[in-house]
Amino acid sequence: MRETLQRENSTSRPLIGLSSIVLALTFIPLIYLVIRAAEKPGEQIIELLFRQRTLEIIATTAIILIAVVLINVLIGTLIATGIHFVRLPYAHLLIIPMILPLAIPSYVFTYTWLALIPRLSGILGAIFILVLTTLPYMMLSVVIALRRLDTGLIEVARTLGLSKVSILLRVIVPQIRGAISAGSLLSGLYVLSDFGAVSLLNVTTLTVSIQNLFKSTYDRSGAAIMALILVLASTVFITLESGLKRKQESESATRRSGTKHLRINNSSAKITLLVLVGLYTAIAVFVPVSVLLSRFFSNAVPINWGELLSAAISTVTIAASGAALALLFSLPLGALIAQGNNRFSIFAERAVLISHALPGVVVGLALVSLGSKLGPLYQSTALLAFAYAILFLAKAVAAMSNSLQLVSPAVKEAAATLGKDRAAIARTVTFPIAFPSIALGTLLVFLTAMKELPATLMLRPIGMETLATQVWSYAAVSKFNEAAPYALLLILIAAVPTFLLSLPREALDRTKSSVRDLQLGESR
Amino acid sequence: MTTLEVSHLDVQFGARKVISDLSFSLNSGEIASLLGPSGCGKTTLLRAIAGLLTPSGGTIRLGSQLIGLSSLSLAPHKRSTGYVPQQGALFPHLNVARNIAFGIDRKKKSASEIKSLTFEMLDLIGMPGYEEAMPSELSGGQQTRVALARALVIKPKMVLLDEPFSALDAHLRNELRADVIALLRSQGATAILVTHDREEALVASDKVILMRDGAIAQFGTPEDVYENPTSPEIAVSTGDAMILPAQQNTQGITSYPLKNRETDFKVAHNGFVVIRPEEVVVGSDLAGGMSAQLLAVDYYGHDAMLTFSLAHSTELIKVRVVGHSGYAVGDTLSIKHEGPVRFFKE
Repeated sequence: MRETLQRENSTSRPLIGLSSIVLALTFIPLIYLVIRAAEKPGEQIIELLFRQRTLEIIATTAIILIAVVLINVLIGTLIATGIHFVRLPYAHLLIIPMILPLAIPSYVFTYTWLALIPRLSGILGAIFILVLTTLPYMMLSVVIALRRLDTGLIEVARTLGLSKVSILLRVIVPQIRGAISAGSLLSGLYVLSDFGAVSLLNVTTLTVSIQNLFKSTYDRSGAAIMALILVLASTVFITLESGLKRKQESESATRRSGTKHLRINNSSAKITLLVLVGLYTAIAVFVPVSVLLSRFFSNAVPINWGELLSAAISTVTIAASGAALALLFSLPLGALIAQGNNRFSIFAERAVLISHALPGVVVGLALVSLGSKLGPLYQSTALLAFAYAILFLAKAVAAMSNSLQLVSPAVKEAAATLGKDRAAIARTVTFPIAFPSIALGTLLVFLTAMKELPATLMLRPIGMETLATQVWSYAAVSKFNEAAPYALLLILIAAVPTFLLSLPREALDRTKSSVRDLQLGESR
Repeated sequence: MTTLEVSHLDVQFGARKVISDLSFSLNSGEIASLLGPSGCGKTTLLRAIAGLLTPSGGTIRLGSQLIGLSSLSLAPHKRSTGYVPQQGALFPHLNVARNIAFGIDRKKKSASEIKSLTFEMLDLIGMPGYEEAMPSELSGGQQTRVALARALVIKPKMVLLDEPFSALDAHLRNELRADVIALLRSQGATAILVTHDREEALVASDKVILMRDGAIAQFGTPEDVYENPTSPEIAVSTGDAMILPAQQNTQGITSYPLKNRETDFKVAHNGFVVIRPEEVVVGSDLAGGMSAQLLAVDYYGHDAMLTFSLAHSTELIKVRVVGHSGYAVGDTLSIKHEGPVRFFKE
């Protein structure tokens, strides 16, 4: 029983105040969109909502969303379970090609596949590309859950006489259901907010229609209405997922170990798994990388090094400002959430989660409309950085509160009884312990911001290009050679580090230890 | 001189009263054990004294200074109480020397003074040479020692230890406890040790504070608390005890299964007697003894617990004997109560 440190209630007040300001800032886009949407007369809203085109767009988005999530659930779970249970040599190394695609943003996937098959387009094309892009989220989520499986339960089930199949269905599947739903959430939100892939493939989803309404007709109210539909869809999706998760959220007390005794050693299972993994590796790693490299080295068009350098510099500069702002925003919110145990912190946690449902297109649209009224802020890098800070707030806050939770209350109390006041505790205890993890979180936000496309397209100052916008612009007009250097550079400086840093430690450790196991095995 | 004086202390978490109207005082240099089942408010009391939570009523006085008051509570860093939390709570990012020196006021002590104080403490806790070690490299017992050194180095007015030995195995626990108590005594420290281990409470302290449901059930020296429990329930919480049905007559003479009543016994009160197993002696034919059959022997090595049944009563009688008794289950022996008769009215 650990109740609050005494003066905590009083110091929460400034924290709550600052957090409220940040949350208010975060919800400016949403509020603005509601106001804009409301400007349209009611009958026009109804007309817009129920005209055939709108229904088609919503149906398209829904079909892609459902298809991608379903395929992910089926194939992702199948491959992840296979990798975990089927006895294959080098099985643990198979996970590397499975998660390497995480380093490639959807518009780069689309671009490389378009360069290979220029006819690729439509809903099927979009489903194909988005499955490639998001499958790793599902597989990673499930593989990690499988490694955390409570083996004690499996052993008990075996002693109770259950067959392997019923163990799978009655013991294992219930335990990884949470991971499957988390993977679905990640890939579903990616699909809903994706703009790069669908726009290049000429599929009009909600995000594309918002961009079109904004670009071609300057119908800001119409765009606002579509944006609100998109936010609603994301929110419903998040709510569904957290509802599922709450139903079964019991970490068991007995800790994990291997599930070696349940290994499947069956040659048809082995071949199926190898074919699936091989196929996925080919289409999601081999094709994009080889297309990029061959386009880069084909030298059909001389590379404009000056433009490349300036795009790289802009990318890094804006992403860094965005990450710095997100860090600033996450401080009060992270501290509040880490402290927990009050009603406002629970509210703040939910609010941050909702901000996670804001797609880049939506934030971009709101800020570009709002910015046009703000004079100097319109199309400024500051506004774009602010957009990044809103878009990646959830990520930054999660990193911040997790980092602060590394500092146990007992340690802070010990410092208090040793004569340190709050400021001294923050300086000598909390900060040194939490710093490395906060820095890592900020770095991840920075790297993610570098890949952001839709908000960047809408908000970037005139004449400024980033690596992401260049890849998209060149690919959109089929200039595949010109896009190659930008895409390669983007992957090298943004995506690969993100991929390496965001890998759960466990996955890395496991890979390392399995390499060690293999070496040991050979020396024996 | 009174060092710590807690009077009429109330602590409330929301609507729940965790401590109510609790008062006691400790003299300078006394070591007290705070004993009670989990959830009785031990840790809460300790945290209130340390200033880690604000009481809703009552006062806490340390020396002549009023430190705890619901309206004006002195912040923990101004109280000069050394606090040793469960499992030490060492600063994970600092080495042993920096952990120990953490609370030393850098404005008042020079670097060399801080260093010599730190090394002095390292010697005192029997860990010279460990100054560079990180907390994660230490065993549980070593972490507790360092946490104690960290608390003692600032020369606190009072040391508060919150179950510091709970994570250790029995052998290490006894050894470390003896060391820690010796160290506290050598420093003349006034201390409160929270524990849920009844033997630890008795062996370690000058005073035992027995807590139940947020209030003090009994307060006194270990001998007093053990010998003169204020209720059968308290008796059980400080050691093994039999609670046997008993009657008292008008002259104040008590009858119970181990003592037969006189023929003209007039019952004035019904109640219970509390008898410790070591207060019953056993022999093959004791003068004034009572015949009993040996039902079971629980052998612990240094002693054994014998369970007897009596011919005229359904109560079972436990007897503690030193070492191996030599009796076999089924033997008919004679037993006799040789100790105080603690009668409690129903």
